[in-house]
Amino acid sequence: MVIFLAKRAAYMVLTMIAVSILLILLLEVNVGTLPTRVLGPYITQEQAAHWLEAEGYNRPIYVRYFEWIGDMLSGDFGESTRFREPVSDILWDRLGNTGILAFFVFAIMVPLSLGLGILSGMKEGSRMDRSISFLSVVTTSVPEFASAVLLSTIFVFALGWLEGTVGSGSAFNWTQMILPVSVLVLYGFGYIARMMRASMAEVMQSPYIRTAVLKGLPYRRVILRHALRNALIAPFTVIILQINWLLSGVIVVEFFFSYDGFGALLLEAAQNTDIDLIQACAMVAVVVAVGTQTIADIGYTYLNPRIRFT
Amino acid sequence: MDTKELERIHVGIPKMCKDLAAGKVSRREFLRTTTLLGLSAPVAYALVGEITGEEMIPQARAQEDPQRGGTLRISMPVMEITDPSTVDWSQKGNLLRMVIEPLVQLGADNIARPWLAESWEASDDLTQWTFRLRQNATWNNGDAFTADDVVATFTRWLDPATGSSNFGRFNALQNDAGDGIREDGVVKVDDHTVQFNLRTADLGLPELMTDYPALITHRDFAGDFPAAPIGTGPFVMTDYAVGQRASFARRPEGEYWNDGFWVDGVEVIDHGDDTNATLSALRSGQVDLIYEMQIGQVPAVQEVEELVLYETITAQTGVARMHVTEPPFDNLLVRQAIQACIDHDLLLELAYEGLGVPGEDHHVAPVHPEYAEIPRLAQDYDRARALLAEAGYPDGLDITIDCVAAPTWEPNTCQVIAQMVRPAGINLTVNIMPGGTYWDRWTVAPFGFTSWTHRPLGVTVLNLAYRSGVPWNETGYANPEFDMLLDQANGTYDVDERRQLMDQLETMLRDDAIIVQPYWRAIHTASRNNLRGFELQPAREFHLQNVWLAEA
Repeated sequence: MVIFLAKRAAYMVLTMIAVSILLILLLEVNVGTLPTRVLGPYITQEQAAHWLEAEGYNRPIYVRYFEWIGDMLSGDFGESTRFREPVSDILWDRLGNTGILAFFVFAIMVPLSLGLGILSGMKEGSRMDRSISFLSVVTTSVPEFASAVLLSTIFVFALGWLEGTVGSGSAFNWTQMILPVSVLVLYGFGYIARMMRASMAEVMQSPYIRTAVLKGLPYRRVILRHALRNALIAPFTVIILQINWLLSGVIVVEFFFSYDGFGALLLEAAQNTDIDLIQACAMVAVVVAVGTQTIADIGYTYLNPRIRFT
Repeated sequence: MDTKELERIHVGIPKMCKDLAAGKVSRREFLRTTTLLGLSAPVAYALVGEITGEEMIPQARAQEDPQRGGTLRISMPVMEITDPSTVDWSQKGNLLRMVIEPLVQLGADNIARPWLAESWEASDDLTQWTFRLRQNATWNNGDAFTADDVVATFTRWLDPATGSSNFGRFNALQNDAGDGIREDGVVKVDDHTVQFNLRTADLGLPELMTDYPALITHRDFAGDFPAAPIGTGPFVMTDYAVGQRASFARRPEGEYWNDGFWVDGVEVIDHGDDTNATLSALRSGQVDLIYEMQIGQVPAVQEVEELVLYETITAQTGVARMHVTEPPFDNLLVRQAIQACIDHDLLLELAYEGLGVPGEDHHVAPVHPEYAEIPRLAQDYDRARALLAEAGYPDGLDITIDCVAAPTWEPNTCQVIAQMVRPAGINLTVNIMPGGTYWDRWTVAPFGFTSWTHRPLGVTVLNLAYRSGVPWNETGYANPEFDMLLDQANGTYDVDERRQLMDQLETMLRDDAIIVQPYWRAIHTASRNNLRGFELQPAREFHLQNVWLAEA
């Protein structure tokens, strides 16, 4: 187990190093436009050259790379040219906001999709199964931008029941969260529900469940004690991977509802060629992606004895 | 007011009155020109009524009594600002105008009115202008507003190192070497009187002072406004976070010179680039007013009872401009071939739902007082193909136009242009990019689509964008003859004479084919129905002196 964990950790570090190298190489292309971004569009070539020299951009790329990695490890993410603030001041704030959004989505989506998946998979082919399957396929097929437009047309414009953006003005109001959370739950729950259903249906057909039923155990006990424990293994990975999606993949929803989250920050950083911010955001996204992947792997191994002991 | 009194304000005004009576100039031209010459707007409106026998109502005023109080919430991008004289977006001007002010304000009726200046008069030949400043204006740090502030501000603007577009805007105040302000360009006569001595005559001087980079800063201003937001304006800045929000609180009672400004504070919220979010925020009452909306959103606003739609025809436009030093656009024939493919009426219809006026590729709008009507070019593919062949491209041409992604009317217009040039064998790719990327390179891109805001006079834009070597000259156009004619037009107040000069300038610009100017667009915005006293100013300037919030 220790060797396994060490291996996973080593893979994680290797992936992050690879991505960080790729990142600095990609952004190197844009270094020439930095002076205009910081000093304004009317600067002379001499001013631009002077700025690049003063900021150390004329040094070899590997020197800057190690400096950047060192700074990041010590918590210094640089300065945002768009917001004129240290990147770390903005980053954690925005990540926190996205965390709040992800928390609400998770709290609703996970029980909902597991419940529906179990109901659906218990009796494959039943009317209940077909209805739930239909619903989850339809909602998962509608992209977030489409359901966002649809829901706000109905609830903001036509009915005037809900607020159209989050965080306008200083007072936070939980009703503002209803629309973005609904859009994300609608989009995300179908996938987990389908996974849960498939896993449940598979378990329900296995010999030991048949044995348990034939033995005369109460159906409720068969489901809760025997079927569910095994059926949850596959959806577990999917659920953990949703964290990655919710933290860095909800750009459209954050943009649409003007939510000051991490996804919107990533977009703004890219649109404004804010190099330090792009680098920091990308690295955070990578850490989240690799981290959740590792947790999913470890969790899966722990839950599934067939993998653990081979 | 008798002729003598009018003559005392400016010798040109009595002739203008005669021309108005004889029908040689329109009422609008009369109002625009006489107010520039120093006649106050109410007197000018009254004269029109007296001479023509028809009342001309100035700006509509709210019928109810305004109520004091409340915080006005506006959805508008909160952009980065350092030096107010180098700002390049109306949105930045709107933020700044809460705290610092211009000498002259351009009303929603396109008429210039004194603001920090109380009045002005011009010499007969329009080279010497005397501005009297408001005596009761004070800075929010306690200092009195004086002529020293004005002289210091203009001196900064006219220093090329500042990098302000005012350097080109007030080029009549440059010294002959073009590296600073004229020695006697801006002179303090006494604490509240400033004299401007121009190198060349310029009727438009007061209107130039209305533009958003021309806000007066404190005499000790060091270049970073958010670090020391000292202003004479109605509000003080209490919070400023780029990309998020800016807050302003009204100055204490009796400290500010203007009796208006009914709201206690203003909160500006940035909803990002998505105009859906902006409109959603307005619909759900999270804001009271939005900065702008897309043309496609007009029907949605009309449907909702709680919202009010504002529309105005403007000199706002966009230009598909070609850089004359970049191949293949360094070839006049190529530029003319592109121009010959355009059907401006159809372009307006397809790209902007017909809500505006077709353009004529010379950047002077029919709403400008000095606009001269010149024969319009018709779409002519045979001519376009012949021009291309002569230019050395008999088999057609592959080119790319850079364009911002939002607002959508800009890429839409580029797409229509791309379709229109195709039959002539020109394969135009529209390279859509984020605003930030485009504005990094807008003056150097070989072919790009640039939006231009409303400016009250046609010559103002020509001075800003097409005069040789000025900072905002995005086409690299340099034509001494054009510059000379422009100098003459700047200094001519006789409407008829000026129109003849404009005829030549417009023709020259169009025939040199440096821009395809699709249309002049009507602009829209919307508010909640409890907002009172708001008027949509053609340059999207927010003037809040009459704005107040009624009970919702």
